[in-house]
Amino acid sequence: MDHIIQELKTFFIVEKGHHAFRQKLDSKSFTREVSNAHVDEYERAYRRLQWVLTHEKPIVFPKERIAIMRTVREIPEIFSESEWNSIRKRYRIHEQGKVSNINPGYSLLLDVGTEKKREEIIASIQHHEANENGDGVAYLRMLLKVLDLIEDFADAYREKAREVGNETVAESFSIIPRQRPKTFLQALQFFRLIHFCLWSSYNYHNTIGRFDQYMYPYYRQDMDTGIVDREGSLSLLQEFFISFNKDSDLYPGMQQGDNGQSIMLGGVNADYEDVFNELSELCMHASLELKLIDPKINLRVHKQTPLSLFELGTQMTKQGLGFPQYSNDDIVIPALKRWGYDHDDASNYVVAACWEFIVPEVAMDIVNIDALSFLHCVMDALPKLVDCESYEQFEQLVRARIFSRVAEICANTNGIYMEPAPLMSIIMKGCVEEAKDIRDGAKYNNYGVHGTGLSSAVDSLAAIRSQVFEKQAITKERLLSALEHDYVGDEDILTMLRYESPKMGSDDDSVDSIATTLLDWFAEAMEGYKNDRGGIFRAGTGSAMYYLWHAAETGASPDGRRVGEAYACNFSPSIFARIKGPVSLIKSFSKPHLERVANGGPLTLELHDTMFRNEESIHKVASLVKTYMDIGGMQMQLNGVNRETMLAAQKSPDQFRNLIVRVWGWSGYFVDLDKEYQDHIISRMELDM
Amino acid sequence: MKGIIFDIKEMAVYDGPGIRTTVFLKGCPLHCSWCHNPEGISPHPQLMVSKASCIDCGACAEVCDFDADPTRCVVCGSCIKKCPLRLRKIVGEVWDSDDLAKELLRNRTILEKNGGGITFSGGEPLAQHEFVLSIIEKLEGMHCVVETSGYATKKIFSSVVDAMDFVIMDLKVIDSAVHEEFCGVPNSQILQNLLYLNESGKPFIIRIPLIPGVNDSEANFEATASIVKDFTNLERVEILPYHKTAGAKYTMLSQDYNPRFDVDQNPHMHTHIFLKQDIPFIVA
Repeated sequence: MDHIIQELKTFFIVEKGHHAFRQKLDSKSFTREVSNAHVDEYERAYRRLQWVLTHEKPIVFPKERIAIMRTVREIPEIFSESEWNSIRKRYRIHEQGKVSNINPGYSLLLDVGTEKKREEIIASIQHHEANENGDGVAYLRMLLKVLDLIEDFADAYREKAREVGNETVAESFSIIPRQRPKTFLQALQFFRLIHFCLWSSYNYHNTIGRFDQYMYPYYRQDMDTGIVDREGSLSLLQEFFISFNKDSDLYPGMQQGDNGQSIMLGGVNADYEDVFNELSELCMHASLELKLIDPKINLRVHKQTPLSLFELGTQMTKQGLGFPQYSNDDIVIPALKRWGYDHDDASNYVVAACWEFIVPEVAMDIVNIDALSFLHCVMDALPKLVDCESYEQFEQLVRARIFSRVAEICANTNGIYMEPAPLMSIIMKGCVEEAKDIRDGAKYNNYGVHGTGLSSAVDSLAAIRSQVFEKQAITKERLLSALEHDYVGDEDILTMLRYESPKMGSDDDSVDSIATTLLDWFAEAMEGYKNDRGGIFRAGTGSAMYYLWHAAETGASPDGRRVGEAYACNFSPSIFARIKGPVSLIKSFSKPHLERVANGGPLTLELHDTMFRNEESIHKVASLVKTYMDIGGMQMQLNGVNRETMLAAQKSPDQFRNLIVRVWGWSGYFVDLDKEYQDHIISRMELDM
Repeated sequence: MKGIIFDIKEMAVYDGPGIRTTVFLKGCPLHCSWCHNPEGISPHPQLMVSKASCIDCGACAEVCDFDADPTRCVVCGSCIKKCPLRLRKIVGEVWDSDDLAKELLRNRTILEKNGGGITFSGGEPLAQHEFVLSIIEKLEGMHCVVETSGYATKKIFSSVVDAMDFVIMDLKVIDSAVHEEFCGVPNSQILQNLLYLNESGKPFIIRIPLIPGVNDSEANFEATASIVKDFTNLERVEILPYHKTAGAKYTMLSQDYNPRFDVDQNPHMHTHIFLKQDIPFIVA
């Protein structure tokens, strides 16, 4: 890191000096105002951005090269509480009712500038006027006003930069946003502007996508003309990466760090050529040195990906960043095509906030519409266990539950309402041409459903098969009564089920095949359903925060899990499975037909930090990751952690401010997490590896 | 052919080239004062109790004929199932070489694709040399490594080394009297075997657990260097500085950890002596 980056990191990250500029504003007054003005939702969305950007106080520091930071703490709602209540009566609200968790086509604006974009919108206005589409024309005129807002905001920053004598920033804003950036630096500044305005529009989980691809021309041009060398580019990139951490505490999320700023590097293009480039590598180095939780690095890999890239990734894991997360092109691209994505779109996939596979610019998928608990399906079938004469009979009851739960989930997704998202619509393909808001849909409008508690469900079924039916170590009635009493007084049964029954994750085909069966049923159950936006349903192996939510509502289960004990996170062995080791683990978790359940959801591997001690061991960990992909794994995230360090951090948080861990699909500062998440990560470490 | 082992560990990253599975054989003729795998010393099954999280519920004592007194434990195992947190286990499992080979072959494709194989560690694998050789016969040519103290007759040592693709051998201290004081046996046999190892043509690593006040003197570095400097098949020397966590498992075996050296002192690194003589080494 050069001295500028060190200074900026100290100021923005360590000292958080910029927080002093944050204003105390009454965002509720805006809500009251638009609510009383009885203006329509489009106008409200426009006025919100106007309110935020005009209240923003431009702040430019003398040494920075990429400006813009939030001084407005809260983005206002466009509906009052009572208006929301009446919307809720008529519609289903997903999360906060905003367009979120998609990958905007930044370059659709960045590559042309607002002036060209304005021409494009005006052309579309003429077209829709000719077709007497009055609503469309009104909508497009509003988009023009959004461009005005962005230009005005950028102008204010330019003037401020002049005022403080920062000519670099002033110069950037004299080119962008009106014109296409002339340099890599201007392109980064333009991205920052767009990204900032998206958050200011109350869009959230604004993922970054294939940054190394759409920014590469700017980087290449500057390198070729010699405007900047590698060190200079690295420094700019690091400043750019710092910008993702300036306002992130103000972003909506389940936990601090859960903000969806995921970047996707490398992978293949539509011709199956590897596109990992110099900029991709520079991004890795920038993150490796900065050691910040944002942006979250994701790597696309495939059969031809060299081991050296996995080694670079493992160096990152060693730093304790909780990323990179790896996604396997050889599984994901065919899976998306199977679901109806065009070849070019599937080849261009990225991850949403965590690990859900989405397509940039053309998809308005809601990848986390709901979640199925596999363990709930087992539990629901349990009362009828006494009537079953064979394990297979019981398994069929579970199958029926999966199918009926899936039917309920799919039916429950009708009538989604989202607020209009004018800026987002400008950078999503088709919206300007068709004069429609992105919230009304795009080329793809699919819904993803997580699958939680898989390993607990598999272990429960394996325990029933082995202890009840095969060994007859326990009767059905005894098992049910033990579960009913949460194993109190039945500790012998508890330990038998918990410690002496087969578990998923140890390369035992007879157990692992249950996982394959459950996931196949999950996928089959969804086939044929359509949502009311014309899309399909995608089954997945992720859990997000449901691994704690679902667990909290599950009674004691036949895998020896007591009331209140968590599920595993994502696609992972149960917390008390004593598995044989990492090699058996990756084998187990590559067996299911993952191309059928590719909504996303990584195998989460916790490795002790002593495994990252030297080049040789890093080479071996990298080989393990590569092997998982080679044998058909879909997605993997790793934590290089030390249980003792985390326990110490719980005791003395002040001394461990920088300890970063992977939570469910994102990296966060350990000490910022709620205790239940901290405890879960600590117990994951107890997996006996 | 049967033998006793105390662990099978996948992905042991410091036990030889590539991705490997390591088998830990139970029983060792040495009693090194710094041993961090004390459960590997006795050739018999033992009860191991992880006491740190014990909630003192007393369930173990209820089923024990000896009131859960570890000094009178007969390793019957009945307390294990009673412990609600499963903090008790028996270390030491008798395996048939057929079954063990089969278990080790399970990951063969992945291990071989990643330049790895099987490592025999311990304890002292040479103490069960027939068992080890019988497993290797059934491993269908997988890459094999032994981690050994080198303490065995030349006949045994050579039979095992000849069956290996790679050897990791300890060279703890050159002065035989010191060796006997801290490891319980003299080292003349070990030094002879080391010469055989070099002549065997097998690539090998020498490991030195560097113990403060025992083998970290300049004289020992010099003596070590003079023995290994002309070794033709030596890949490198690995120096493993003593770490206090070595004592962690003794309480689990209800044994006292009484190293007869100062555990708080950092060992001296006279590695310039190796540098001067062009001996390849790393400090792990």
